Amino acid sequence: MVGPDVTTGFAVLFVMFIVLGFYGKYWRRGDLNHVHEWSLAGRKLGTTLVFFLIGADLYTAYSFVAIPSGVFAKGALYFFAIPYVMLTFGVALVTMPRLWTLAREKGYITASDFVRERFGSPALAVMIAITGIVAELPYIALQIVGMQSVLTVMLAGTANAQIVGEISLLIAFIILAAFTYTSGLRGATLTAVFKDVLIWITVLAVVVAVPLSIGGFGHAFSQVKANYLTLPSSLVPGYSTLILGSALALYLYPHAINGVLSSESANKLRKSTALLPLYGVGLAVLALMGVLVFAVPGAMNFLSQFPESSRGILVVPSLILYTMPGWFSGIALLGIFVGGLVPAAIMAMAQANLLTRNIIKEFRPNLSDASEIRITKISSTVFKFVALGFVFLVPATYAISLQLLGGVLIAQVLPAVLCGLYVKSLKKLPLIAGLLVGIWSGIYMVEAANSFGPLTSSLFGTPLGPIYIAVIALAANLAIAFGGSYIKRR
Amino acid sequence: MRVMKRHAVLALLVLVPVAVDLCVPLYNRDPPELFGLPFFYWFQTIWLFVSAAFYMAYARLKERQSW
Repeated sequence: MVGPDVTTGFAVLFVMFIVLGFYGKYWRRGDLNHVHEWSLAGRKLGTTLVFFLIGADLYTAYSFVAIPSGVFAKGALYFFAIPYVMLTFGVALVTMPRLWTLAREKGYITASDFVRERFGSPALAVMIAITGIVAELPYIALQIVGMQSVLTVMLAGTANAQIVGEISLLIAFIILAAFTYTSGLRGATLTAVFKDVLIWITVLAVVVAVPLSIGGFGHAFSQVKANYLTLPSSLVPGYSTLILGSALALYLYPHAINGVLSSESANKLRKSTALLPLYGVGLAVLALMGVLVFAVPGAMNFLSQFPESSRGILVVPSLILYTMPGWFSGIALLGIFVGGLVPAAIMAMAQANLLTRNIIKEFRPNLSDASEIRITKISSTVFKFVALGFVFLVPATYAISLQLLGGVLIAQVLPAVLCGLYVKSLKKLPLIAGLLVGIWSGIYMVEAANSFGPLTSSLFGTPLGPIYIAVIALAANLAIAFGGSYIKRR
Repeated sequence: MRVMKRHAVLALLVLVPVAVDLCVPLYNRDPPELFGLPFFYWFQTIWLFVSAAFYMAYARLKERQSW
């Protein structure tokens, strides 16, 4: 059980977070009854705010939980997250300003809007919308798992810890749903800045204080096995394809595109994207916690109370609690907690846009603007609670597994969305065939790689060594999309 | 000709950091260590700063071009 010094800081900052979220409604006023006002903040965000908003998308509870947990359990392999964020911004730097320009001209809100008009295919647009919604759901669930890990550490040793934790999560989500309903992306952007300030303070403090208190990084690295120091050579193909596949996939997630389209101009978007690799520095520090924790006996003792499979997700919060002063732990833990809440809000918003604009409107073309915005707001609330229910019902490790599968799925929309921006000769039928084959083969390989049991690996053994499944499935998908379009042209 | 040269520079500004990133054997080694961190870790972290500089140069150049 943590002391009042921790809980006070946590509670005070959480109240500030709520106030900011609701205040978003009045910030840079616009008519929130328009979809682009509510979900894109009126397309008025400048370099700095887009930096924070997309940074908040990327710097999710996923990075606090899954990456350090992976480094803790498997070593250097999981450091792939750092080169991956570097690469993903290179991809975005080139492609996203083009999508932004088209979206501004034609009034697109989602990637499916673009695909529908570009290929004249409602069917393809609906399939891409469904892929986006499905892939996003476990991502939201993972945010909740991250928040849960904070509560687990804070409540450890108290009676009814699980019930108290679940009720706290439920309350946090009701508040979140209420302010996204009223403030839209404006609320999410303001809270994203707040969250990022807390996270950066935490990261900087940790990178200075922890190595000092344990006698340098070298001390931690001397306590771990060789696969923590460098990558075993058998994992090199896996490492580079994980970088490539994840980097190609990130900007296909609906919430990332949502952030991109809220930018004020293509030039501002380019500048904020160019600076975003700097965010990865914080991610690197967090990933290193997966190694540092081995040199903190208090944290290791604490972790040993928990079953081995759930220790990983508790690494960061327990390391903070055991190396930092109490008042500071409160600030840092709240940073991680809202680090899950903010992206969850943006993700649910992006899902709701897809559902309303690209699925419901497809079948009800006469939907009025007022109904469109109402359905979007309501469904974004529903998606949040679906994800929450999912986390309450299934073990946390499942959420991480499904997130793995989500990455493989979302990568399959690349030919239509990114290649479609440049290649004139692409045709809708080969794209649909490629998408279906990519999704089917991706799911099959994920199942096969895990012997049809619980999903833990996303690498598929090939003669070249283990390779990230998203890349293999995407290669098949691209071959069909381009090959088919070429044949049809002749 | 000038246009082609500009395009080549733009392409290199993105491709160079990306190529280094994907050449894993290039940085998959332990010594030399920095502050006790194996090369594998500190190189990739520092490369984030380098690539941000490359990307920023791309963004600036592109801005002038479109104007």
